[in-house]
Amino acid sequence: MDLVDIIAEKRFLGQEFLTWLWCKSEERSGAIDLPGIGDISVAFEKHLLLEYGEGESHEKVICQGLQAELNEARTGLRMGKKLEQARIVLGRGEYEWIMTVKASMFDFKSVKTPKTMASQEDSDDPMAVEGKILEKIGLYEQALQLVDELFRLYLTVRLSPGWEAELARLRAWIRIKE
Amino acid sequence: MGLLSNSGTFVRFAVEGEMPENFWEFAAERIAANAFKDIDDNYEEYSIGWVSVMNMFDSQFAYASHAVGDYIVLSMRIDERKVPSAVLKKFCMKEEERVRKEKQVPKLSRGHRLEIKESIKLMLTKKAAPMPAVYDLCWNLANNTVLFFSTSAKVHMALEDLFKETFGLHLVLQVPYLAAAHLLNPAQEAELAAMNSSILL
Repeated sequence: MDLVDIIAEKRFLGQEFLTWLWCKSEERSGAIDLPGIGDISVAFEKHLLLEYGEGESHEKVICQGLQAELNEARTGLRMGKKLEQARIVLGRGEYEWIMTVKASMFDFKSVKTPKTMASQEDSDDPMAVEGKILEKIGLYEQALQLVDELFRLYLTVRLSPGWEAELARLRAWIRIKE
Repeated sequence: MGLLSNSGTFVRFAVEGEMPENFWEFAAERIAANAFKDIDDNYEEYSIGWVSVMNMFDSQFAYASHAVGDYIVLSMRIDERKVPSAVLKKFCMKEEERVRKEKQVPKLSRGHRLEIKESIKLMLTKKAAPMPAVYDLCWNLANNTVLFFSTSAKVHMALEDLFKETFGLHLVLQVPYLAAAHLLNPAQEAELAAMNSSILL
């Protein structure tokens, strides 16, 4: 399958993952236990984009704001709209990353990395520059590692016999009216 | 929105293909061969090549090396002379009017108008200042993935071509389905291929 077909046929995969992650993030007040890593925090906030239909009938709905608007996005899910983009806060230990994830393509937008001592320094010394670059890359890669592990957690349950029960929980969560 | 900005926007690519032996030497040579060439002082329409991530004017990597730990860190720079369509239209109309009056004809033929458009476009392109755009890239050699700091499909195509030309290796965008394949065992991969969307309602 070439990339264009994969994007078209498997578009649902990223969207279903993001919806599952949203539901999962509310199960234990934002805490998700990642095998080998432990508890991390996941929070959905401020910005959600849902889409519906294809081609000419393609529609997009942006829900921006605090809790009330997130409820509106839940209503969208109940109407069969798909979660395509969300602003997520990921926390691990003292570190926090904020990023917008576009589900169908895995675009990571406006990713804010944790502030560190080195990132505050402003030096032209080649060693300092190299250190700064390496640290920044490391912080981006840590964020991607968390996303990968969350995705692996979803895929593991998705491909297991336990998916039916998980799907029932997900459906129940979508149906709940706040 | 690049690698070193306060917030970065990026996608992930997997690098596919055979890496040559003495890779660092090969990489340095190939990056130099495909370094960005300035077009400010000539009439070229388009230029694409590598520059330092720290400085878009540094295509010799004098201030910061492209080799950082186990990573290759570069910026892809594209300079392009563009003529806004409204400007092109205006100058074409002006020239058509001048020629029409000079020849004292009520209307110019389609062929003649196309000829005018071509020569006006060439003239305006030469006058236009090249518009620069810079996109950062970091290549993790340990796991052969590239973070690329743009989400534009058009820019991705330019990167894939430049990367292939420079290193002889292919980049494959890691959309969820392909990213999933790296996280699963072969049996699960087959299940993933057969998987359909669940009804969430």
